[in-house]
Amino acid sequence: MSNLGMLGWSACVTLAAAGVAWADDPALVEAATSEGAVSVYTSTDIAQAKGLLDAFTAKYPGIRIDYNDVGTNGAYNRVIAEAAAKQMGGDVVWSSAMDLQMKLAADGYFEPYASPEAGVVPDWGKYQDLLYATTIEPVGIIYNKLVVGEDQVPKTRADLIAFLGDPAFNGVVATFDPEKSGSGFLFHTNDLHETTDFWDLAAAFAAANGKTYSSTGSIKETVVSGENALAFNIIGSYGIEWAQEIENLGVAFSSDYTAGFSRVAGIPAGAPHPNAAKLFVDFMLSKEGQSALAASDLPSLRTDIETGLDLDSLDELVGGNLRPIALNDTLLEFMDPMKRVEFLKEWKAAGKS
Amino acid sequence: MAVHSTPIASAAADAIASAELARRPVRLPRPGEALAFRRIVIGLLAVVVLAPVVLIVYQSFLDNPFFAPAAKLSLSAYRYILTDSMFYEALGNTVIMAVGMVSIAVPLGAALAFLITRTDLKFKRALEILVLVPMFISSIVLSFGYTVSVGPSGFITMAFRSVFGSAPWSLYTLTGIIVVCGLSHVPHVYLYVSAAMRNLPSDLEEAARVTGAPLWRVCLDVTVPMVLPALVFATALNLMIGFEMFGVPLVLGEPSGIVVLTTYVYKLTTLFGVPTYQLMAVVVVLLVLMTLPLVWYQRRLLRHARRYAALGGKGARTQVMRLGAKGQAIALSIIGFWLFVSVILPIGGITLRAFVGAWGQGVNPFDHLTLAHFGNLLEVPSLTRGIVNTMILAVVGGACAVAIYLVVGLAGHRNRDVSNTLLDYIVLLPRAMPGLMIGLAFFWLFLFVPFLVPLRTTLISIFIAYLVVGLSYGLRLLQGTLIQVAPELEEAARTTGATIGRSWRDVVIPIVRPGLAGAWALIMIVFLRDYATGVYLMSAGTEVIGSLMVSLLQTGAMDIIAALAFVSILLTAAAIGLALRLGAKMHD
Repeated sequence: MSNLGMLGWSACVTLAAAGVAWADDPALVEAATSEGAVSVYTSTDIAQAKGLLDAFTAKYPGIRIDYNDVGTNGAYNRVIAEAAAKQMGGDVVWSSAMDLQMKLAADGYFEPYASPEAGVVPDWGKYQDLLYATTIEPVGIIYNKLVVGEDQVPKTRADLIAFLGDPAFNGVVATFDPEKSGSGFLFHTNDLHETTDFWDLAAAFAAANGKTYSSTGSIKETVVSGENALAFNIIGSYGIEWAQEIENLGVAFSSDYTAGFSRVAGIPAGAPHPNAAKLFVDFMLSKEGQSALAASDLPSLRTDIETGLDLDSLDELVGGNLRPIALNDTLLEFMDPMKRVEFLKEWKAAGKS
Repeated sequence: MAVHSTPIASAAADAIASAELARRPVRLPRPGEALAFRRIVIGLLAVVVLAPVVLIVYQSFLDNPFFAPAAKLSLSAYRYILTDSMFYEALGNTVIMAVGMVSIAVPLGAALAFLITRTDLKFKRALEILVLVPMFISSIVLSFGYTVSVGPSGFITMAFRSVFGSAPWSLYTLTGIIVVCGLSHVPHVYLYVSAAMRNLPSDLEEAARVTGAPLWRVCLDVTVPMVLPALVFATALNLMIGFEMFGVPLVLGEPSGIVVLTTYVYKLTTLFGVPTYQLMAVVVVLLVLMTLPLVWYQRRLLRHARRYAALGGKGARTQVMRLGAKGQAIALSIIGFWLFVSVILPIGGITLRAFVGAWGQGVNPFDHLTLAHFGNLLEVPSLTRGIVNTMILAVVGGACAVAIYLVVGLAGHRNRDVSNTLLDYIVLLPRAMPGLMIGLAFFWLFLFVPFLVPLRTTLISIFIAYLVVGLSYGLRLLQGTLIQVAPELEEAARTTGATIGRSWRDVVIPIVRPGLAGAWALIMIVFLRDYATGVYLMSAGTEVIGSLMVSLLQTGAMDIIAALAFVSILLTAAAIGLALRLGAKMHD
């Protein structure tokens, strides 16, 4: 897996170095402009996406963006319901739930589109012309600097397990709730695949009376206020951003293994504005779009942007062992309800043995 | 949600309605009773209310989303829920929460009603309005506010800890949830009980006083037994509200993983990765089955309430009891403390959070003062739209709702047709369902019913869902106003040859017009505070503040949530001001 990731990565670096250029396809722009609008179903906060949307509107003033922040489940639910009613309202589904996106793709809800920008996307970030990763974001740790000393911050997974064993931090460690959050579920099950000590971590977390939350934002609120000392397996790109704004908040990553997830975009079949959708996906992957995302603290998977973090500088930041979650069938494993329930049962039982 | 259907003035309306019921001689329908009008209106209403209900019941008997080609009839969803240990945990917590909430709200509400109606408590006029404020604040705003003020790192908690070493409370527990719910529902009890107490003659109390009983004995042994039906009624109502409570356990139950039935439904959205509508539908069906008996019982009680109260006799002048200086001080400080806890703490918390970037241990929030969160509201189109939409829905939607409730109210006004029984029951149904699911059902209806499709992405879709959610509350409000028009006025019009339509147009409506304005302001508040109905229904262009807060909670953008909550409080305050100006009957 890690080798695969690295392979895809070097491919990407090569491509970027070769300088794949992309010019607007005037016919597409014209068709998109005559459609006049693009509707996005997404889980990304509008505040976070604003840079991207403004850049798109500035470049294509004739195309209005209807931005629907409906959450990962909302995006999925809308697509399947609207497809059944033949009333598809979304042109682009842009969601951080990589597994739900894969499920939609596997069930035939997406229309293939070979984006001219596809070359910049590493192999792990593509699925059959159906889905494209648009960001690469680390999964990490945030902590309260007033409560956790600089030398106490875990540097590796083993450190984290040891940290959980410290009685001083009993009851003040938090993580994403795999039951209430699709992202939380993805992060934890991905760790299960990628590491050997996941259940040790889960047991230590339960023994430490850890608390779970349904969103990174609510976790941040508790860590900033000191209600919790540290939280792990949260969206690290947000952590990096918050650590710059809030002086008592620190962000950390395990140097031996840091998972990376992506916001994934696809064009649903029956999209009301298919050309605008294509143009929007192209723009998201373009240097301009990626720069706008990176400037809003959503690191780019390109390597040629000037502002914010990109694939290389992010890998460096997290200690050199960034392992992107690949868009492939592995993600579908836990879409099976029985396997899902089994994992959740085991997760809940972890501390009780 | 049931909270929306909580009547304000309807205690009085109920009382009058039941009196009306008793007085009414049995008469057969005569020609010219506007039967066609009544039946058409009630029939239309039945379609609007029953469509989502039927859809949800149908969904509960399928094994897939109803629109999926693979969906077939099955009891598998019932089997899953009824054997899921988390369902029973949620059910147990729900019962504890509802009972706990009632056992706080009922005694306090009754005591408050006693002090305000039966004694010479000072500042009565101001208090009569102030004590109602907690019921106007959206419970989701309330919960965020408490997190900031008395949460584990809240500013009150930390101030307390720095003085006493530790703070003896813990907000994120079932007890914490119960206390928050209990205190914020005191007004719901107060309204009913005070309406009943106001009508009591004071001779029995005076007799007790003369024989030397202290005030609290008079209250417990004389006053309270006389208003027992109202107390039981308020208890049933609050139990029902407790069963439907969503916002408070959603926010306060999360950190420690406490689930109740409504948050269990919400959790089922993510548990399996893909939506399990059939499971959600089953829980809602079970919830309705559990709460409907309460609704039915409540209505039965109402019929007898008046008979009880009449035992005291009528006509005697009400003499208030004297509290004395010490009594005044104790009573006022208890009320003051309660208001502090249930109004100042949450509103203070959310206000502070809206203006700071960081808070908590070791942070002086005043070093982090900022207006940036409000800047976001102006910069981000969907948030700005959310505020504008909420205002449009409250002001214009509220007015349309009053007009529609008035038409329905007239259809049921002195209606002797069987359709009136139907009306009674369809009004109750939405009350027993969580607004979240009503919104989801309407989302489906607007998606799959061809002639509704163009409306889905307009505010009309949200308005119709609000209309149904607010139905029982709004209709009671209107019925309460209509029933006050003495029948002889209408009869006079009829005798001089007016049709029933004409007698409504020229007699009833002009008389109730001031009541309509008040009802409009109160419905406005109900629409402002709603947060659950729009969660699944809103789309780009139809955002509303309450549901934006719930959806922002998924990513946890607390800065923006706090700013939105603050705006929502301002709007509510404006609506309360308007309601007072228009002379809304918050009290009888």
